[in-house]
Amino acid sequence: MQLIEKLTVLADAAKYDASCASSGAPNRSSKGKSGIGSTTGMGICHSFTPDGRCVALLKILLTNFCLYDCQYCVNRRSSDVPRARFTPEEVVTLTLDFYKRNCISGLFLSSGIIRSADYTMEQLIRVAKLLREEHEFRGYIHLKTIPDADPLLIAEAGRYADRLSVNIELPTESSLIRLAPEKQVRTIKQAMHSIHQGEHQAREEKGSPRFAPAGQSTQMIIGADATDDSTILHTAASLYGEYRLRRVYYSAFSPIPQSPNTVPFEAPPLLREHRLYQADFLLRGYGFEVGELLSGPGNLALDIDPKLAWALNNREHFPVDLNRAEPAMIARVPGIGVLSAKRLVALRRQKRIRFEDLTRLRCALEKAKPFIVTQDYHPQQAGSESLLLRQQLSETPAQMALW
Amino acid sequence: MRNAPFDGSFIGWRTVARSLLQQGIAPHQVNWRPDGDSMSLFDQSPTAADLDATKPAPRIPRQLLELLESAACFRMEDRWSLLYRILWRVAQGDRAAMLPGDIDGSQLHKRLKAVRREAHHLHAFLRFQPRPENAEGPQLVAWHEPAHDILASASGHFAERLGRTTWLIATPDDGIYWDGHVLHYQRPCPPEWQRLAHTPEDNGQALWLAYYGSTFNPARLNRSALETSLPVRFWKNLPEGPLIPQLMSQARAGVQRDGQAEAVAGRGGKRISRPAHATVSENADPALRH
Repeated sequence: MQLIEKLTVLADAAKYDASCASSGAPNRSSKGKSGIGSTTGMGICHSFTPDGRCVALLKILLTNFCLYDCQYCVNRRSSDVPRARFTPEEVVTLTLDFYKRNCISGLFLSSGIIRSADYTMEQLIRVAKLLREEHEFRGYIHLKTIPDADPLLIAEAGRYADRLSVNIELPTESSLIRLAPEKQVRTIKQAMHSIHQGEHQAREEKGSPRFAPAGQSTQMIIGADATDDSTILHTAASLYGEYRLRRVYYSAFSPIPQSPNTVPFEAPPLLREHRLYQADFLLRGYGFEVGELLSGPGNLALDIDPKLAWALNNREHFPVDLNRAEPAMIARVPGIGVLSAKRLVALRRQKRIRFEDLTRLRCALEKAKPFIVTQDYHPQQAGSESLLLRQQLSETPAQMALW
Repeated sequence: MRNAPFDGSFIGWRTVARSLLQQGIAPHQVNWRPDGDSMSLFDQSPTAADLDATKPAPRIPRQLLELLESAACFRMEDRWSLLYRILWRVAQGDRAAMLPGDIDGSQLHKRLKAVRREAHHLHAFLRFQPRPENAEGPQLVAWHEPAHDILASASGHFAERLGRTTWLIATPDDGIYWDGHVLHYQRPCPPEWQRLAHTPEDNGQALWLAYYGSTFNPARLNRSALETSLPVRFWKNLPEGPLIPQLMSQARAGVQRDGQAEAVAGRGGKRISRPAHATVSENADPALRH
């Protein structure tokens, strides 16, 4: 099979993994050195495909031959897809060529499970080792970790990769048993634990080799099973807590060719995925707890964002006086982000905050208006019913539902 | 009104601005002339020599100078008046002028953001074209059309990235060449550089296009997200640019409702037989197929 045909098959096979981050790596430079590649901690999106997703890394599988039969996966062994396998050298050539053209910032390599978990992991490591040692490649490398692989192999992968990831795949153990019979939550979490240990060791013990400096991430598939958002977010929060994950990716389940009956054949729930990312961001960056966003079982609202939903349910905290409130409380106002909150605090050291200052800071004023007080402004809607406010601020007008 | 001609560079502006500031000339009295050659007999153009050594130099936070230098890369009809007004206000002790919430500061930060974004666009959307191995001159060449004057300040990134590989970037206005050791910046861009930058595409481009088409998920088509992140003005210089409308119309026409790329859907598939027991038979190992 020609290289271009393999690439066509193995990029298609890899695209259901949502991760594309090339950020978080330490500063590396090739200036004045042999070899190529640099990282700065900031990721670069080199292109975007018409699905709006970024292309930062060459995201491919080493092979899409796979012994597992995960129902949600296009590469499951019972799937009738074309199969291909790269040699490690082919992956190296493609990575370096695309890198020189400035099409990518590095490689994200994963694989179907062939022969055994250890064998598969060894093959992935071999590519990373070739890139780093023979070609002195200093760009970004993200390796998928095979859950059942020997911890020694995971440790070796961590020496070459910037980021490692093990996919949790589904938010609950019962779904995993049903849809991914060969996978086990226990071994997935063991692998996460090994990576977490490796990171910890590299940080604490001086002189120890570097280990996945951009940390670990995982992915959860949304909508392949019936799990609600509350369960999904609690699972995410516990992963953030236990293994210090940098990111949990939520991937709306895309229908796959020759879909088995166990998974839905419908358009991916993109808006739901978007709301989960927003909620995740509130957990990581704004100090929200899952229980604040969803007090019981159920899903996030689709018509309003989770911060606005929280504010409408907690009117007793509002309106917030922007000239007096704590920065953390300002950041909880719908329409005002962490950055704007910082800027408002800097500005109020110089002067009293007025309504027009918010316009200049490009806050989402329609959303913020009912919830704030400035020197020259007090919301008329402060007394409005939350239900009424919600109707006004909803992103999908109720009328549309009639269509 | 006072004409203040200078050479159009930030260094030139800074020298003149420093002198005007020292003389107490207020922003509304200054008419900035970046064309430099318009000096008439009656212009009193201050230069470094006019600086009065006996007067104390205006005290400006170093950070402000960096902000002003960066904001000066923002292309527009009159980019200099705002910079002097902010400099003036801060020198008078009104530091709010530097803040994003201020009436002038918000303009400054808007420009800073646009300049940063444009530098990022250079790092992201520029595409190098390799030249034949035996060719004289740079190994990689690129043509790029930035919206602001960021080439000189933002190109160092590629020297970090590409090591000793030599490269050249040409734009309609300026150009930069890395010889493996030193950066050479030219404004205006030499026509020879512009010609080099338009080196025709090689065969390797086909691999990138194959990847781009395959990594796209037609079941998730989202045109507005694409256009927000990858502004349409960049499409014409991207090798994948012509593919974008093609992929979109295929996806919209509902060629397939699942996520598979069309190029893959057209190929014959292969199911893998279930392994007999825990140790997997070698037959399932595609390594043997090579």
